[in-house]
This record gives sequence, C-alpha cells and structure tokens, in this order.
Amino acid sequence: MRLGYLVRRILFLVAVVWVAATIVFFIPRLSARNPIRERFAEIARSTGFAPKDLDQIIAAYEVKFGLDKPLLQQYVEYMGGVLRGDLGPSLTRFPKTVLELIFSALPWTIVLLMLTTLISFALGNLLGALASWPRSPKFVKGLMAPLMMLQAVPAYLLGLLLIFFIAFRLKLLPMGGAYSQGVTPSLTLEFILDAARHQILPAISLILASLGFWALGMRGMGITIQGEDYVNFAEHKGLHPRTIFTQYYVRNALLPQVTGLALAFGSVIVSGVLVEQLYGLPGLGGLLGDAILKNDYFIIYGITLFVILSIAILMFLVDLIYPLLDPRIRYESR
Amino acid sequence: MTKNKITRRQLLRLSALAGTGAVIAACAPAAPAAPAAPAAEAPQAPAAEATQAPAPEVQVPEVPRNRTVIMGWGASDFDNIGVTSPFAAGHNHQNFNSSLWDPLYYWAAFSDTVYPWLAASDPEYNADYTEVTIKLRDGIEWSDGTPITAKDVAFTVNTWRDNDKLDYHSRVAPYVKEAIAVDDKTAKIVFKQPSPRFVFDVLTAHFDTGRPIVPAHVLEKEADVTAFPGGLDMPHSGPYKLVSWTNNQKIFDLREDWWAIKTGFQPVPEVKRVIMQRIGDDMGVVAQRVVNNELDTALDFRNDIIANILKQNPKVTTHTGDKEPHGYLDWWPNSLWMNHEIEPFSDVRVRRAINRAVNRDQIDEVVYGGAKVSTIYPFPLYPPLQKFADSPGVQAIVEKYQPRKFDLEESAKLMEEAGYKKNADGLWEKDGKTVPTQISGFAGIHADIVPVLSEMLRQAGFDTGEGPDFSPEAYNNMANGRPGLYMFGHGASLRDPFAVFELFNTKPTGNTAGSNNFSRYNNPEFEKLVLEMAKYPAGDPKFDELALQAMEFYYKDVIDVPIIQWLHRIAYNQTYWVNWPTETNVGEGYNGAFWHWTGPRVIAALKPAG
Amino acid sequence: MTQIAAVGPQPDAWQMRYEHPSRWTLMVRYLRRNKSLVLGLAIVIGLTLFTVIGSLTIDTEKRAYPLAVKPKQPPSAEYPLGTDFFGRDMLAVMVRGIWQTAVIGLIAGAIGTGVGVILGFLSAYYGGAVDTVIRAITEVLLPIPAFLILVIIAGSIDRKSVTIYTMAIIVSLLAWMGPTRIMRAQVLTLKERMFINVARLSGMSNLEIVFKEILPNMLPFILASFVSGVFAGIFASFGLSVLGLGPLREPLIGNTIWFAQQQAAFFNGWWWWPLWPSLALVLIFVSLTLINVGLDELANPRVRRTE
Repeated sequence: MRLGYLVRRILFLVAVVWVAATIVFFIPRLSARNPIRERFAEIARSTGFAPKDLDQIIAAYEVKFGLDKPLLQQYVEYMGGVLRGDLGPSLTRFPKTVLELIFSALPWTIVLLMLTTLISFALGNLLGALASWPRSPKFVKGLMAPLMMLQAVPAYLLGLLLIFFIAFRLKLLPMGGAYSQGVTPSLTLEFILDAARHQILPAISLILASLGFWALGMRGMGITIQGEDYVNFAEHKGLHPRTIFTQYYVRNALLPQVTGLALAFGSVIVSGVLVEQLYGLPGLGGLLGDAILKNDYFIIYGITLFVILSIAILMFLVDLIYPLLDPRIRYESR
Repeated sequence: MTKNKITRRQLLRLSALAGTGAVIAACAPAAPAAPAAPAAEAPQAPAAEATQAPAPEVQVPEVPRNRTVIMGWGASDFDNIGVTSPFAAGHNHQNFNSSLWDPLYYWAAFSDTVYPWLAASDPEYNADYTEVTIKLRDGIEWSDGTPITAKDVAFTVNTWRDNDKLDYHSRVAPYVKEAIAVDDKTAKIVFKQPSPRFVFDVLTAHFDTGRPIVPAHVLEKEADVTAFPGGLDMPHSGPYKLVSWTNNQKIFDLREDWWAIKTGFQPVPEVKRVIMQRIGDDMGVVAQRVVNNELDTALDFRNDIIANILKQNPKVTTHTGDKEPHGYLDWWPNSLWMNHEIEPFSDVRVRRAINRAVNRDQIDEVVYGGAKVSTIYPFPLYPPLQKFADSPGVQAIVEKYQPRKFDLEESAKLMEEAGYKKNADGLWEKDGKTVPTQISGFAGIHADIVPVLSEMLRQAGFDTGEGPDFSPEAYNNMANGRPGLYMFGHGASLRDPFAVFELFNTKPTGNTAGSNNFSRYNNPEFEKLVLEMAKYPAGDPKFDELALQAMEFYYKDVIDVPIIQWLHRIAYNQTYWVNWPTETNVGEGYNGAFWHWTGPRVIAALKPAG
Repeated sequence: MTQIAAVGPQPDAWQMRYEHPSRWTLMVRYLRRNKSLVLGLAIVIGLTLFTVIGSLTIDTEKRAYPLAVKPKQPPSAEYPLGTDFFGRDMLAVMVRGIWQTAVIGLIAGAIGTGVGVILGFLSAYYGGAVDTVIRAITEVLLPIPAFLILVIIAGSIDRKSVTIYTMAIIVSLLAWMGPTRIMRAQVLTLKERMFINVARLSGMSNLEIVFKEILPNMLPFILASFVSGVFAGIFASFGLSVLGLGPLREPLIGNTIWFAQQQAAFFNGWWWWPLWPSLALVLIFVSLTLINVGLDELANPRVRRTE
C-alpha cells in the first residue's frame, strides 16, 4: 500500500515536471522572435558590425545549436539532453552553457531568496502564532494589521521605496550590486560581510513583502486550533502554557504552512526576477528576467525546469513527511 | 534542495534570533566555489573553461583608489565572460576589452587627426587607390613577447575576407584582393576596386568601428576562429590585461611590459587599474553613485539626470562643463525609419506627412530642456560635415524642401491627397486601414523621446497603436521590414557625407537583415550617384557636386525622417581623476566615450587629482 | 450571512428569535463587527469614487497622455498631483490608470473564478473520471509558477497586439487552478456534511442540491476567490508592466512606475511621479486584502468567534 502510494507520487512528480517542461518548451518557440538574431543585432547596434554579415553568422549558429531542425525533433533532443543533465548552450551568452550560468547565479539566489524565505517563514509563523495565542501581549496582535498591509505590497515596490529612503536619502546602505566595486569574491570575512551588506535591502524588501502571508496564515490556523478539544483538554489538564503553545499549538498549526513553504520557494523566484533586477544582483531571478526579455529560451527552459523540479521535489518530500508529523493523516488506501 | 529540509526545524530558532548575518556567512562559502563546478559541462569552449574556472581565485594585488578608475557599465556586457578574441562571435569591445587590442591607427574626432599607432606612418595609397602600403612601428609586440609583424596584418585582413562569419567580412571581401606581408615591417593590401576609404573605415579605430590587428600565431591554429573565445590569457597588444572577470565586474591592470612603454612611444599611464562595474537598469541609482564618488564615470545619461548630477556634486563635469547640452555629438543621429516597400509607406506623400507632423521645436523644449538637439540631417555636425550642411548648395535644398517645417494642415492635405480620411477615432484611414505608425525604440536610450514622438503623430491622426514598443525584437522587426516606425541612428558619416549615402543605397533585401538600408530605399539614379561618388575622396569638387545631388534625393524622397542629433552626456568625476577630454580641454581630441575603441586613449590621458 | 446560518446544520435559537430585523439591518450589524471588510470596502468605494468623479470632471482622454500639459511640474493648485516628464497631468493619469488597472484585475478575477467554480463543482460533485482529469490537470499545473509562464508568454507575443484586454486575458490564463482546487475542496467538504445528506434523503435532485444547498454555502468562498483573483490579476499585470511588457501608451499604474524609473524620477527630484501610482497600488492591494480577511471571517465561523 505504502509502496503503491510512493510510486504514484513519483509518477505525479514526473508528470508535473514533464508537463511544465513541455509548456515552457513550446511557448517561446511559438513566437516569431529569433534570439540569436536579436543578440547579434544588439552587437551590430553597439559595435558597428556590418549587418550584411548577420545572416551567415545567424545561420551558422542555428546549425550549431540545432535550431534548424524540426521543432518536434528539437523537443525530443532537448528532453534527452535534460535526462543526461545537459541543459544546452545559452543563445545570447554563448559560449556559456545554461548549466554554467545557473551554477554561477545559484549561490546568490540561495543566499538571498532561500534565506529570506526561510527567515520570513520562521518569523511570520512565530508572529502569527503569537497573534492568535490568547496570552500574548497586545502589541503582537497590533502587529498584524501593518504586516497585512505590507504583505499586500509587491516586493518590487518595497525595494523601490527602500532604495529611495534608505540608500538614496539616508545613504545607510548600498544602492545596488552584489558587492563593492574593486572587491574580488573570496572566502575572507571581509568579502562576506561586504556581500552581506549589499544583500540587506533586497532581503528586507523580500521579507517584508512575504512576512504577512505566513503570519496571517498561521494566525488563521491558530484560531482554528484554539477551539479544538485537545487544546482545551491540555489546558484543563494544567499543562504549562509554553508547553501548550509549542507542543499543541504551533506544532499543529505549522503543518499546513509547511506545504506552503515548498510552493513559496518557487514563487519567490518570481519576486526575485523583479527584485534582483532592481538591485542589479547576479542571481537566478535576474538571469531569468534578462533571458525572458531576450527570449533566450535555453536559459528560460533551464531555470524554469530547475525551479519546477525543486518545487516538485520539495512538495514530494513534504508529502512523504507529512504523515510522520501529523498522525491524523494517513495515506489513502486506494 | 534537501538541505533545506534538514535545516528547516532549526531555522525557526535560528532566525528568531534574527541572526541574518551569521546565516549569510554560513552559506556564503558556496558563492565563490560554484563557478568552478560546471566546467565539465562546456563541450564547445575548452579555452573558456580554463580561463573562467580559476578567475575568482586569482589573488588580485591591491591598487589604491586614487590609481584606479571605476566605470559603470550596463549589465549585459558582463555575461560573455572570457570572450576576449576580437574574432570570437559575440566579442564586444564596449566592455573595455578595447584596451586589450591596439589598432594600426586611431582617429580623434574633435581634432580630426589620425594617429599612427601600430603603424609607423600614414598609409600610402597608390595614385588610383587600388593599393595601400602600411609601415609598422619598431618594437611592437604581443603580450607573450612575440613581435607584431606585417604577417599579423595580412592574416587579419585576409581572414576577414575569407571567413563569412566574421563581423567585418562584408566590409572587406568586396574590396580586398589580397593582403601581403612584404617584409616584417611592411604590409601591402591590393584592392579589387579603388578604395580610398579602406584604411580609415576598417583599420582605424574610431567610435565603435575600425578593428584592431589580431595575433596570427594564436589564431592560425584555430579551426574555427569565431568559436575560440580567447580567454583571459590570450596574447594581446594593448596597455591593460584582464585580471578578473565575473558577472559583477571586470578588473583590468596596467601592463608595465606594454610595447609602447618599453619603446618609450607612450609615457607610463597613471591609471594602474580600471574597474568596469556592473550597474542595474535604474539610471537614477547610477547617477547617485557618480554623485557619491563611487563611480568615476558611467555610460551616458539623459538630459535632466546629468544636470542634477552637476548640481549635487561640483566635482563632476561634462564635455561642455556645466553648460547645456552637457555633452558632445555622437556619430549616431537618430531618424524614424520605415519600410518604403510596403503600403502605406511606399507613398512619398505619407512619408512627407509624417515628417510634417513632427514638431522639432517642441521636442527640444520638452525632452531636452530647450537645448537644440533636434536635427534635419542624417549625419553628425562635426566640423567637416557642418561645413557641408552650411554650404549654399545644401541650404538651397533645405530652403526648397523645408524638412524642419511643422505643419499639421499640410500634413493633413498630403494625407488627403494620398486618399486618406479621418475615421471616428480621428485617425487617418484608407480602405479600413489606418497608418501603422507604432514607434519602436530601445528602452534604455529612447524612453524619453519616443513617447513624445508617438503622441505627436497620434495628434496628427496617425495610428500609433498601443504606444511605444521597447521590446528587444525592435531591431529585428526593423531589419525584417515589418510595418511601423523605428527610431534608429546612422552610424556612418564622420568626415564626409559619403557613408550615410552608401547606407541608403544598398539594394532592398527582402525579409532579412541583409542590409542597414532599413528604409529599403531603391532608386537606380541614386545608386548610380553613390557608386560614382565612391571613387572620389572627400574634398574633391566632383565629390561635393555628387553629394549635393544625393542630399536632394534625401529630402525629396523622405528616405527617413530625421529627428535628433545623438548626444553623449557623460559624467566625468574629478574627485580622483582630472584631465578628462572636454570642450576646453581637447587634448589629442578623442571623444570621452570609454566604451568606444578609442576609450583606452581617454583613460591614458587621465591624471590623478591633487 | 443569514443564509449560512439558516442552512447550517443546527439553526439555533438565536437565529429563530431575531428573524424579524431586515437583511439590511443584519448586514449593518454584522459589518459593524467585521472591521476589515468595512475598511476594505471603504477604500474600494473611495477609489471608485475617485475614478468616477475624476473621469466626469477631467478630460482624461487627453490629459492622461503626453504633451497635454506643462511637463515636470510639482503638485500645485493647477496640477494637484503634479505633471510628469512627458507633460501628462498626474491627476488624470491616476484617474485613468486606476480604472484601467482595475479593469485588468476584474477581468482576470472573473475569468479565473468563473472557470474555477465550474471546474471545481464538476470535479467534486461528479467525481470519477471527470474528477480525475480535472484534478490531474490542476495538480500538475499548480506548482508551476504562473507569473513565470505569464512573463514568457508576454515576452513571446507580438508587442503590437498588447492592449489592456489582451493583458487581462494573458493574466487570467493561469489564474483558474487555485479557485478550482479551493472550490473542489469546499464542495467535497459540504457534500459530506449532514445537511446535504438530509437533502439527498429528502429526494432533492443533484441540480437542486447544487443550487439550493451547496452554492449558497459557497458564496463567501467564491467571493473570496474572486477577490484573490482580482488581486492576483493586478499583481501579475503590475509585474509585467514594470518589466516594460505592458501597453506603454496607457497610463496603467505599472507603466507609470516603469516610465518614472526610466527617467530616474526620484533622482531628478520628481518624487510625485512614482509616488502616486505606488500609493494607489498599495491602496488597491491593501483594500483587497482587507476584504479577503473580512470574507474569511464571514465564511469561517470559528475565526469570527474569537474576534
């Protein structure tokens, strides 16, 4: 029974990734845009390239990248490549391959997007739980309203305002970039602190924009749980309030939030597209945003695949772990 | 990904302590290590791997701030990491890779001077311009110590001629029969037809054109020179070497063993290090960083921004100091282009009506704060071209066609003559079709002018669609001749108007970007004129006479609708560096754009402040 | 509201005794308790009044577009919200922009919710193959970040055909899975509730049960889902237009911010140019969120009890 369930989940996982990959494969190809031509056109514009030579170059590159083949064949070959772990070359940043680009952008994204998501998740849930907890101080409950307002504001807009007030006006933090000019990436404490300083504003915009989501969700769950018999029972049993809060309250309320976390890792990339571009950060989001504007579909495929695969795997793991955390839920026996 | 799973539980506690710094520190080690990881995944670029992977680990020596120039540059040029060979597909000199490569000659726009560089003297053409001989300087060498010889020159020119994947193929192949190394110091190029402009157009670095000589001993070995990226270690000829290149910045350090220093040809440059700093899309932020002295210079600004930079930091200056227009003329005057081969732009009356709907005075006033930026010429008004524009012949033609006249009534009359009527929306319509005049441009540089133009045309009854189109395929659409208007420049004439006429002359090319003649102007008479003109150097009376006739065609047939001169409003921050090239400090006469091929000459002239 | 209680499993004595007060009175009484809903609605009404009165009194057809007024003017008596670089009157820009932005949201919300309700009902009520297919499609599509796909679509289509309506449709393309899932789950829960079984036992047809028993109970969820849809639609269209992918002539909120960014409005001291659209966007989003919280209270009695 369990094995059957596991197999079904894995099949589902494969289905999600395959469907997503297929959709993402065909959308950019339906358009008449030619990213190679656009790339060389851009070079032609800025470097006084003789445009007569564009056609030869473009044709040569189309052959090189296999774009001259029928679309369906390209699809099959691309999927084959994906299975072998080859995401193809970048059309607009050749000779870089998509995998190289992803790996060089990934650390920045992990540091910024993942951490902010986790911080926001932890902080938001804590605040939300406290807000719904009858014994918490008043000011925690008062925090909910501003948090809710902030959650309604896109991270991009928050970023814009933060740049203006904190960096522009008060000159407290850098206005953009991943690290100070002239510094070379290294493992020194100095570099890490410098890079961290540059991540503060983007991180704050992302955290503020998502904090409310977790807090509100958690508060809702908490309120629901309050009425549950087991909480009442625990209270009557005379358990210490802190024990009730952590063991009965937070633990139960947190469960559905965990599912949300898997999805949030995916959606934060989307905020990342805008925020990383706003701050000029070399992460995955900025890379993707740039690729979309330039229609560099191999990068688009690569990153979306990467993101979707991550989400799907996370959801899969959450699914598997869930029953362990919540004894009430059992696998369907069908 | 599973890592997150494991840490999730602890994280609640961790982040509750708000240990942001600690957490970032814990995760950061992944950052510098990562670029090395994917090396195995690059099947087609072995050289790139070799140079990219160790790059972040290079220990870059310390250089004090007052010996370092920091320049802000747009994001996309940081991404083709390791592409340094001028023959590599995707090579771009604008990210200061120009400083790796020395040309045979430099041309300085504001002094109208050609400086022999690798060449020892001016080129010697034969009487009918079918051959040219170039003598090389003594002591010139590549960074690996190999001497630069005439063989490198011949290799460079002949490879352009033979390899149709190279960017200068079509500029060289029709003209060059053979480039020959007569001896180590003497190169001779034999032409198929008289080519009085060849050395200037192809072998002289000016603005974004002209190309340097490449090392034969390196590239000869490559089966496909366009696929060989070069990398950071490729032997080169220029004053700087690349010591670090990430997607955030590039660091160039001075080569003390540069041939020009060794031979005493040039003094040792004061700038020991050049940093190209990646900047975001928000030019307000870039401007603020100039104000904060974080950047010594950056790519050019729009009109209002540069004025506000000067207001906020008195140490910053521009080409014209604190006077309008805060910049100098670039060689790229912009027009509205349209495809003459398709309805309704095939009708000269429609093209003329569009020109009559453009209020150039209002453009100057609204977009440029009163500075006279709008133009009626397809070439920049550098001294020789200003002379041409001011000549009685040209003035008589201008008087006759009045290209600057803004006249909505005349515009309407022309449209009615062409069979158009205003529809319910107040837009010109014929057979149920409006005039497709949505204007495409480039967001970074046209977001100020294009919305204004778009509205002008709409007010005159032209259907500008959903407003400006700044999507990156604009150039493609223009090259493919799709309906619409395209804001684009003429990177052509510098010393005489020939190049721009040649630009208009190319044969129509169907559906590909086979030509820069985006108008697809096709006029046998005009073509004959241009072919005849090609035989005469500028200044020849015969040339002037033909140029005048060509100019008349330009206005009579409204080949395109000239809109503005292009200005480079570059901020020069004098906190750390002085002696930037300005109107009052012409120096050798180079224009201040550090992203041009002449950029290294601008940097070489800088002196430390104080 | 009254309906929920009336068809609930155990209509209590409280309900019976106060049958007399009109629905209106009950609503007012309820709203007095549901502050989020009231505040949210108040902002929406305020914004609506702003656009309606504005459209009636200002020539937005002209003044919301370039070259209409003196450019770069700070707020003054003549131009209460100032003017932008291109000579647009910011007041007219806001009147028209808020309206257009709302239209995109409303269309996207309506399509998303409409499709979601239909699919959710079909899926949950009929079960079997229908359910399997719909659920499979929804489940597979849901983890795919919609905005990603939207930007890819918006980046791929012909720029000349991007209008506020095509934008609304693009945005709604991937806005139906969430509502479908929620509707399905809610119908499933309701289906198992006692009162539905009672209805079924008392001989009501499937259709009757859907319309008389389930749909009324779903209203708060449908409404909430619609509001979320509007929110998501505006959010997505804002994201597209700050990337410069919107119909640029129109004074959409996102477009206006994009243009202000392009012209470095903050640096040049034209703070009013990006400020008003940012403020409007915040107001729109906050009001929608408040309404949704309010609706949540309405739909979830447990939440209500503790307030």
